[in-house]
Amino acid sequence: MAELIITAEMKLSDIIEANKRALVLFPRFGIELGFGDKTVEDICRNMDIDLQFFLLMVNTFLNPDYFPDKKLKNVDVEMLISYLAESHNYYLEERIPYLQSLISQFKHNVDHPAIVQLEKFFDQYIVEVKDHLAYEDETAFPYMAMISSYRKKPDIPVGQVDYSVGVFEERHDNIEEKLSDLKNLLIKYFPPAGDRYIRIRLLNELVDFEEDLINHARIEDKVLIPVVKHLEQKLKSM
Amino acid sequence: MRKTILIAEQSEVVRKGLIQIIGSFDLFQNIHELACNSNIKASIIKLEPDILVINPILIQPEFSGWLKDYRSKKEMKIAAVVYALFDDELKDLFDEIIQIGDTRLKIRNKIDSLISRPRETQRQDPGDILSPREKDVVRLLAKGLTNKEISEELFISPHTVITHRKNITRKLNIKSVAGLIVYAIINGIVNVDELHDNKNV
Ligand SMILES: [Fe+2]
Repeated sequence: MAELIITAEMKLSDIIEANKRALVLFPRFGIELGFGDKTVEDICRNMDIDLQFFLLMVNTFLNPDYFPDKKLKNVDVEMLISYLAESHNYYLEERIPYLQSLISQFKHNVDHPAIVQLEKFFDQYIVEVKDHLAYEDETAFPYMAMISSYRKKPDIPVGQVDYSVGVFEERHDNIEEKLSDLKNLLIKYFPPAGDRYIRIRLLNELVDFEEDLINHARIEDKVLIPVVKHLEQKLKSM
Repeated sequence: MRKTILIAEQSEVVRKGLIQIIGSFDLFQNIHELACNSNIKASIIKLEPDILVINPILIQPEFSGWLKDYRSKKEMKIAAVVYALFDDELKDLFDEIIQIGDTRLKIRNKIDSLISRPRETQRQDPGDILSPREKDVVRLLAKGLTNKEISEELFISPHTVITHRKNITRKLNIKSVAGLIVYAIINGIVNVDELHDNKNV
């Protein structure tokens, strides 16, 4: 199956046509649905969105192999962080509560002792995800934003900060792994109990969330970390 | 550790395509190619590839026997390159099937799993059924024991515990201990009372 590369002259509606999962990307740029036949270029101009950045995010989302080295080096860190932080908001305000409501619906329909353990597993996982996101929002991202604004505000005491993107890289564990475990448990091992349609709905959401998280982590690992490392190096040599 | 791969495929278009795609993964030190099967045994003996990617058309019955024999001595994975259908008799010979319509990502996943998967165990277990020993390991993990404690409890080496854990994860496709606990409860390998010592529960 050949993947479609989104370009500036394509319509926004074509992106969704290519992959409905891309719907979640629009809020991250502040784009509302109801955009008629506007092209990517139109909307970026109207809304003051960086066209190249938008294309990069959409294409890395749609094609896991799309990582053009040349474009990545010039990515603006602040744009990237705001995009990633928007994704975090979406996870916290929409995806996780929705997942929680599906799990609890599923639970109320299931008459099997293992559901208690499954729910514990899920609750524990949500705590881990929230910790992971909070760490990025409160520690890693502010540091990165500071590094990237250094040239504009050289009075920042960068030298005194006891932190580096290496620390972040080290502790950046993958949060999609347990989601995939949960998915496999529900597909293969949890006995047929409870409402099958709720279970399917739950699985659909797990699959979508997992894919979103994988893409998210890939951007953090393959774009954000290298770009900030590069900035750190530049600062050191100043 | 960098590895060697041998690609035997008669169609130049397909062969070069595979070389380009597999080359881009940056997993192999050496990528060798063959367009026919005339020198194939000699090449395998000389190169000792970690992975042989081969079109089943190139495998005559005599060669298939030779491959089985070779693999009883050397660790070499075999992946078939398949255009459409192929001879069912050869199915057991292959660790993986690469379809010509596979995306780059799919091929990547297949090659990755070939590299990481131990061959012998994979051939023995048909499904996701755990051996009694593996069930012991799952039960003790669920009770909160460390690898070292498990090795002492079962009188096996820590290394063996790690091998069991890898096999369990591969068979069940469940990576986290917390996920294994749920599996263990579902399948009655542990009961809820036994979990008390485990702080993770
Ligand atoms: Fe993140």
